[in-house]
Amino acid sequence: MSDHPHEETGSGRTTSPYAARIRAIEALLLEKGVLTEPEVQDSISYMEARSPANGAKLVARAWVDPDFKEILLADGKAAAKELGMEPEHPAEFEVVENTPEIHNLIVCTLCSCYPRAILGRPPDWYKSFEYRSRAVREPRALMREFGFEPPEGVEVLVHDSTADVRYMVLPMRPPGTEGMNEEELATLVTRDSLVGAGVPRTSVRIG
Amino acid sequence: MGGVHDMGGSPAGPVDRGQHEVEDWERLADAINGTLGVKGLQTTDELRRSIESLERYRDLSYYERWVAATEKLLVEKGVLSSEEIDERVVEIERRWNGP
Amino acid sequence: MTFEPGDRVRVLPSEKPGHVRTPAYLKGKAGWIESLIGEFPNPEELAYGHSGLPERPLYRVGFRQTDLWKDYRGLAEDCLYADIYEHWLEPERGTT
Repeated sequence: MSDHPHEETGSGRTTSPYAARIRAIEALLLEKGVLTEPEVQDSISYMEARSPANGAKLVARAWVDPDFKEILLADGKAAAKELGMEPEHPAEFEVVENTPEIHNLIVCTLCSCYPRAILGRPPDWYKSFEYRSRAVREPRALMREFGFEPPEGVEVLVHDSTADVRYMVLPMRPPGTEGMNEEELATLVTRDSLVGAGVPRTSVRIG
Repeated sequence: MGGVHDMGGSPAGPVDRGQHEVEDWERLADAINGTLGVKGLQTTDELRRSIESLERYRDLSYYERWVAATEKLLVEKGVLSSEEIDERVVEIERRWNGP
Repeated sequence: MTFEPGDRVRVLPSEKPGHVRTPAYLKGKAGWIESLIGEFPNPEELAYGHSGLPERPLYRVGFRQTDLWKDYRGLAEDCLYADIYEHWLEPERGTT
């Protein structure tokens, strides 16, 4: 774990100088017993196990089960635990609902707070200076750049994760999906729609 | 007048929607910080404060900021020294680049 | 708790140095208490290795976008919510 030359060597190596820096830090921390290899490996596995698929599961369940939806909106962590996920401690996990009247957009202007314990790593654009600067001030222009425009008259609510809460959007269930089961519904939920930068895919089934 | 990180509402250009593939060293940066946090050796707040204090905040990529900030914290807490990190970096790069 | 949902509040325009989680764009701005989120250790203290105790109340505060940005383009009803610590809030003057 402390040395993988085949990943980062080669002529014309363009990886960051910080790659060697974190490897050096890791090696020293291991040697001094500050951390152990299994602990570092556990942490890697922890992140790899988390992805937007978890968010999609929460959303799909909420779409088919009104009781679960209530729990999801009232106590996000409890809902996540019900589906076998381990939400972060001690940050709160709050799910905000899109409705025909309201569209939500999530940002962290100060850094890149994101419900990593559920969704894994945020997309690069979420962490970009451009998104962090503009989402609070011109959310509609940003969403348009993402190819999405809320229908006329829909209010846009922006949530800046400034403190101990991590936010996820519960998008609206797309029309024409009545015949789909929970698993199929989950495939419609995109990572962008969980941040509010877009909406779920619409059904592509014929007939 | 907030710090350089305090950028809500600042003018900025279009959002680049490209996604780079996460490199192993970036995964490691996540893991080191995650483990330090789980073991109570570092808080999220300390890491944020360290990142915000980086002179090169605007020049570094996301994970570069994390690595620089982590190093700063570890040195601040006396867990590691910059010198020993520097020495180890030289060794590692020598190994990677071959003779 | 000092504030109740619905109370009109203003974010302190303080230029307190060090690590804070109150963004510059909200300083001095008026909004309303949407809800009490809970009590948490103070991040301003945690950032320097202190305990952050006693825990401080954290509120979800709502703002009209048109109150935040002169050039805001959208609906008059568009809002922004941020999570702000009680010690960064004061009652908006001129309100009951």
